[in-house]
Amino acid sequence: MIKLAFKNFISSNGVKIGLLFLLITGLVSVIIGKQFLEKQTGNAAEAAVFQKEHIARNVQYHPKEIGLLLYYIKFSLINETKPINSLSIGQRDVNSSIQSVTIRGLEAQKYDADLQNPSNLLLGNIDFSFVLIYLFPLFIIAFTYNIISEEKESGTWKVAAVQSNNLFGLVLRLFAIRLSAIIVTLLVILLVALVVLNIPVDGRFFLLLIMSFLYILFWFGVSFWIASLGKSSSYNAVLLLSVWISLIVILPAVVNSYLVSKYPVPEALETTVKQRKGYHEKWDMDKKPTMDQFYAHYPEFKKFPLPEAEFSWLWYYAMQQAGDDDASVEVAELRKKLGLRNTASIGIARFIPTVHMQVQLDEIAKSGLTNQLAFMDQTSRFHEKMRLYFYPKIFSESAVNNENWAKFKVETFSDNTPVSLPGAIAPLLVFTLLLAALGWVNFRKNIYRW
Amino acid sequence: MIPELLIARHFWNNAFKNKALFILLVFIVFLLSYAAYTGWTSFVDQNEITSGFQNQARQDWLDNPDKHPHRMAHYGHFAFRPKAPLSIFDFGMESFFGNTIFLEAHKQNAVNFSQAGFSTSMLRFGEISIAQILQILLPLLIFFLGFGSIASERENGTLKIILTQGISWKQLLIGKSLGMIQVTMALYLPVMLATILLWSMLQNGSISLDQILRLLLVSLAYFIYLAIFCVIAILISAASKTSKSALVSLIGLWLALTIVLPRASQALGTYIYPAPSKITFQTGIENDILKEGDSHNPNDPHYKNIKDSLLLAHRADSVQQLPFNYSGFIMAEGEKISARIYDQHFEKLLEVYQDQNSFSKTMAFFNPFMAIKNLSMTLSGTDYNAYIDFQRQAEAYRYAMAQKMNELQIKYISNKKPGPSDKPYIIDQKHWQEVPEFQYRPTGISAVLKTEVITFLAFIFWITALICIIQLMSKKLNVN
Repeated sequence: MIKLAFKNFISSNGVKIGLLFLLITGLVSVIIGKQFLEKQTGNAAEAAVFQKEHIARNVQYHPKEIGLLLYYIKFSLINETKPINSLSIGQRDVNSSIQSVTIRGLEAQKYDADLQNPSNLLLGNIDFSFVLIYLFPLFIIAFTYNIISEEKESGTWKVAAVQSNNLFGLVLRLFAIRLSAIIVTLLVILLVALVVLNIPVDGRFFLLLIMSFLYILFWFGVSFWIASLGKSSSYNAVLLLSVWISLIVILPAVVNSYLVSKYPVPEALETTVKQRKGYHEKWDMDKKPTMDQFYAHYPEFKKFPLPEAEFSWLWYYAMQQAGDDDASVEVAELRKKLGLRNTASIGIARFIPTVHMQVQLDEIAKSGLTNQLAFMDQTSRFHEKMRLYFYPKIFSESAVNNENWAKFKVETFSDNTPVSLPGAIAPLLVFTLLLAALGWVNFRKNIYRW
Repeated sequence: MIPELLIARHFWNNAFKNKALFILLVFIVFLLSYAAYTGWTSFVDQNEITSGFQNQARQDWLDNPDKHPHRMAHYGHFAFRPKAPLSIFDFGMESFFGNTIFLEAHKQNAVNFSQAGFSTSMLRFGEISIAQILQILLPLLIFFLGFGSIASERENGTLKIILTQGISWKQLLIGKSLGMIQVTMALYLPVMLATILLWSMLQNGSISLDQILRLLLVSLAYFIYLAIFCVIAILISAASKTSKSALVSLIGLWLALTIVLPRASQALGTYIYPAPSKITFQTGIENDILKEGDSHNPNDPHYKNIKDSLLLAHRADSVQQLPFNYSGFIMAEGEKISARIYDQHFEKLLEVYQDQNSFSKTMAFFNPFMAIKNLSMTLSGTDYNAYIDFQRQAEAYRYAMAQKMNELQIKYISNKKPGPSDKPYIIDQKHWQEVPEFQYRPTGISAVLKTEVITFLAFIFWITALICIIQLMSKKLNVN
């Protein structure tokens, strides 16, 4: 019986085309992921070569003053792109994965945007997360919207109702057949991705796998519940599509604009204006307040008194430091608001399965705002580390040749913050169970009455 | 009354008997109001913020005391990107554009602080603007309303009756299409009126001809766009055996046109034409500048030539004897070279982007959604070209500012190097106002339209194609 039903389902042309389409877009998403991954690793390798040449050239040009040399030299920090990242590109195409900074004022450098074609960003990627979040539900809807209604409309339901003593079991079997076809498609895509993208089979990958299962189950839950209402095929199709649109188009957009207006960040522009003024006005001021401010921030450098000369690197870097220090209130406020924006969006996403799925995939793949903020924080630490390493050398006018410049290689930031398993799966599980329960109640009540 | 109009009126009356329609309408009107509200507030807030900072940055510039002009060249200026008035209607790519660029000597900085950079992936699901609703949701509403228009008459047998009463297929198709368009207009016209109202309130009384033309064209384009979907709905309904199969085909079509194809075409463009990374881009510029002349290298042939010819012309033995500031002169030369090379590389980069976008643009012939999307953004001033234009104007300003400072240095700064304990040379702060304030001038509509010729052709193509299909189908359609 179930064999026959499966044969029936799979032999339909629409189903074959649908599954094939899903499979092909899934494979396309793997290819796009591969290109993305290669680009990211290529950029990282390029940055390493560039930094080596860049430092060597500048050491050659400015061999006398270490203060002047460090005015020019940029050090790069790379936000590691793990292979699993290519399954959910997230915000990695918006934000640069490489930060290159000199030891001068950080705030003037930290937010440097990447080179981008805005059309690409607007239309978005076809990565695995897109195929899973947008397209899988559509085919789940297409395969299930008429499961019972079609039979009712053609009159075969009555026959089945008379013949079968377990109608609910029949319904479940019909859903199970479709579920298994969809799951197999998912597994094939992920298996190919695993091999092509060299994704390590670790906890991260399993979490992604479980999440993908749950997400598909959620949509089957939606369809199951709607089927339980016992309406016509057209009604079901319209209703299911409306759910899809609400979850994919409307709710995310409404929530996003709410978050943007709830946590506006004028501090971003304020920071940039303030740090410029904070640094530049020091040129025209008496040197003492600048130095006092600097010594107050770094008491350990009090041992380097300000030289007599009109210009000194100690004073110069104290002025640069003042730019950062004068903007520090806005910087902290900006960071706080972005953090709030992020936690709020992760929180609200729990109630919108599609967004939850995207946000969690980004968490697993380290491609969301959480990762970006962590990378920015790490950039600040990296910059501070370089500063503190070079400040005493500059202030004591250490010779450029005393330094082994070849040792300054690009550094990599590896974001290994774990993803909370219950936090990731609970929302999907709750929604799915709720829908299944509602559907079950309806079926129990009505199944023999149709 | 001619039969087409009778059929149209019948369609109109029937449509408003449908209770589900009212629920959908209320929902869409609610969404539209929300979109209008967010469009309005983000326009007002953003422009208030940017103009506030623009003024502050200008004041900071003017308030600088007497100083060396090259220090001013590094003090620099900011360009803040203002929003276009019609951005309340179509957000376009706004969220992905940077909002601020720092303009200083020797260096072309990135446009920073895009909304997208500070967002979670939630943004990537898309935004709700009035244009977005008209582009995506209205066609779906049209399909929901139109899927049964002829197919259900076929199912319940009324089609046979209509056709035996002497009404031709062509009259039926046209009449139903007109009715569908009329119903759509009942929603579309109030939306456009509201948009016009909001938009005129934003202009502070001085509405330019340019803006009026933009608005008229936008209104016309959306009318055509929606009409295309009305006709498609009727045609597919006419070609389908059952209303259910009409519905499924229409939904499939809608998904392909609005969700899958746009992404696919852009992804294809990006895949075929990979753009260089920032490091490659910058290294390319750096290398070309070094090839042309390295101002740090005392033996560089390019700068040595300049020096020799200057010394010869002024009969001087060393640069210190020249009657003007030599290092200012060299910097002006360096700025000229680096700006030119930057421009060349930037134009090359833009060519790659154009190639990437070419697929989405040509897609307009297969997909009216891409046609309206591109045209609507362009007319609203929220498209790719508006952004590039802002960047070009900012770069032109930066160059003029840097060269002005070099000019002041050449003219007013002594050519003698100050000793280690001498005070640095400075000039009077009155010179700072000689640099005009940065003011972004949006491109006029005629220049804008040139970039969208292909889209206009696509619209014409769609109209002719649908008329031809109506002709063809009216001969081939069957009653059953």
